Amino acid sequence: MNNDNKVAGEVIELALPVNPAYVSAARLTASSIANRMNFDIEEIEDIKAAVSEACTFIIRKSGRNDVPGKFSIVFSLDNEDLKIRLLSEVISGEQQAEDNDFGLMMIKALMDDVVISDTLEGAIQIDMKKVKKVLIGF
Amino acid sequence: MDYNCRANFDADKKAWRVAISGEIDIYNSQTLKDSLGKLIAEHAVDIYLDCEKLEYIDSTGLGALVAMLKKVRQFGGNFHLVNVKASILKIFKITDLDKVFVIEGEAHE
Repeated sequence: MNNDNKVAGEVIELALPVNPAYVSAARLTASSIANRMNFDIEEIEDIKAAVSEACTFIIRKSGRNDVPGKFSIVFSLDNEDLKIRLLSEVISGEQQAEDNDFGLMMIKALMDDVVISDTLEGAIQIDMKKVKKVLIGF
Repeated sequence: MDYNCRANFDADKKAWRVAISGEIDIYNSQTLKDSLGKLIAEHAVDIYLDCEKLEYIDSTGLGALVAMLKKVRQFGGNFHLVNVKASILKIFKITDLDKVFVIEGEAHE
């Protein structure tokens, strides 16, 4: 039974502390949502890994703040794709040039559209999307 | 899910055989790096990392393995990954790390 029409348009929001201990919680949530959307096993693993790397990216950047804060993950479900937005709090202090190259490489390879940007307020926003593979029957 | 690591020294092959299970991410990758570092400090030999029960590894985990690979290379050794799951092998291929580690056998998922 295809339950896609039951999830389309739904939005799931997760607020996490900037704490490496809870990245696994983000992975589990992403995995659960992707499974509910009927992504295949490989796509679910891709989404899980990309969300994990995005969380790690934000945690590493946010760690420069004196007071650890929170960041959010918003999953927007549609019939054809899953859009995910991560948003940090304002990052104070100077940004270091060094980034987690493996992490960014993985996010860009695993997801279909990835945009990493700084908001006007100085927060980090990561937008990514996973489009369902189109199965062509004969 | 955290991770578990069991190491045995193979005196015949003069190598460390390390079985790793669970998930490696930013929370525990430094612990993994420290554990492997201690093994190399004890015996500077090849490492065989059995990944059959490794469910997930992130970029920080990859970074830890790369750091250990560099240590092992300093004395002319090699870092072997054994029984790697397809989902994890994919990550190694994306990052081109499948070209620097010796990857032997694939786990069946």
